[in-house]
Amino acid sequence: MSSELDLHHLAAAYALNALDADERIAFEAHYHGCPVCSLDVGDFRATVAALGELSITAPSADVKARVLQQVATTRQLSPIVATRSIAPSRRPSMLAAAAAVLLIVATTAFVVGRGSQPDDAFAAQLEHVMAQPDVRIVDLPAISNATAGHISVAWSASTGKIAVIGDGLSSLADGSVYELWLIDETGPLPASMLDAAVNGEMRRVLTLPGAAVRWGITIEPAAGSATPTGDVLFLGDA
Amino acid sequence: MGRFVVYLTAHPIHRRVRTFAMTEPMAISRKLRAVPVLKIDDRGSLASVLTRCGRGDQAAFATLYDQLAPYVHGVVLRVVRDQSQSEEVTQEVFVELWRLAARFDGEKGSAKAWVSTVAHRRAVDRVRSEQSARDRLDNESQKRVVDTDVVVESVEASFDQARVRRALTQLTPAQREAVELAYFGALTYREVAALLGIAEGTIKSRIRDGMIRLRDELGTDAS
Repeated sequence: MSSELDLHHLAAAYALNALDADERIAFEAHYHGCPVCSLDVGDFRATVAALGELSITAPSADVKARVLQQVATTRQLSPIVATRSIAPSRRPSMLAAAAAVLLIVATTAFVVGRGSQPDDAFAAQLEHVMAQPDVRIVDLPAISNATAGHISVAWSASTGKIAVIGDGLSSLADGSVYELWLIDETGPLPASMLDAAVNGEMRRVLTLPGAAVRWGITIEPAAGSATPTGDVLFLGDA
Repeated sequence: MGRFVVYLTAHPIHRRVRTFAMTEPMAISRKLRAVPVLKIDDRGSLASVLTRCGRGDQAAFATLYDQLAPYVHGVVLRVVRDQSQSEEVTQEVFVELWRLAARFDGEKGSAKAWVSTVAHRRAVDRVRSEQSARDRLDNESQKRVVDTDVVVESVEASFDQARVRRALTQLTPAQREAVELAYFGALTYREVAALLGIAEGTIKSRIRDGMIRLRDELGTDAS
């Protein structure tokens, strides 16, 4: 992986979407916590936006009707979601899914390629999940301003196994952990305690107690909670 | 070209570079420079429309669409190239903007920059999933020959475009090539390096230096 020093130089390429998946993931994990890189990303995104002015072209008129029709049936993400109000959505974002695939694939390549302790056990478990014919990769984007980082899961319904991969996560106070919830119309069901994300990383393979419509992740006391006491921070369609 | 460079802060990693032209080649350049921030970097009206969208206001979203569709579609079309695929991606971008609207944070940047990020990334994802890096480079090489004829739809747009074009002329040819292949060609810097047969570190520096110069020419730094 890139060294810390290399990461500082990647803001321009990142704003241009010119990083490979591995560097993009590493940079995203880094820059939110780096005041200089955060400023650079903001500046360079504004610069990139200016390049877009060179190609102004109206789409054909019927695109608007299609957009407005789709929007009328598309649920919006909220900045902070009260758990009980979460309803199922049938339109997972293809962009989010693509990002999740990149994260999982990059992680698989990384942990398998590195082959060192203590990732061996996780690498083997992740490979096992990825080898299932029904594996689905899903993005659980942060839906709260109160958190940082990114979580993706690889999920195989036939085996009940789910690999959870998080990067750039906020470090938690002592006595707190991330907890995974299965969410359907009736509300959240506790799925599993995760961990406190050492160095912002989460690498876990779990067996789920059942199916979900959506997955959510909250921060809970280390002993776990029967119902969420914290806001849902990460949320994705199962 | 009579230029000099000033490093504003000392740390080599964190240095923020400003460049100053010692000579102004055209009278128009002084006029363009008199505007401190790009018109397109509008922090006011677009942001407030976007905020209303985030509360589920579909009428506001229709306004947002009217204001941004030529911009978004232009970005997408320039990268994706195929008209009907581009319209699909443009549609996906707007649905994504709707889904994410409540998460737009005006503190982190302008609405236009946020929209640009979503649109360009989506276009790039589409192209990378369907074309090899070699195809993207070939497309980009062909396209650049005819790229001077961009439709200008309004005085305002032509004003912005003139500033961006002029800013691009301040890059070295090598910097400009690297930035344009990345932005318009959907190439990663590693792909640019491999296809041009130039070291990755060199391309990374060209992109970075080129973007710093563009930022300074355009005044698109918020800090």
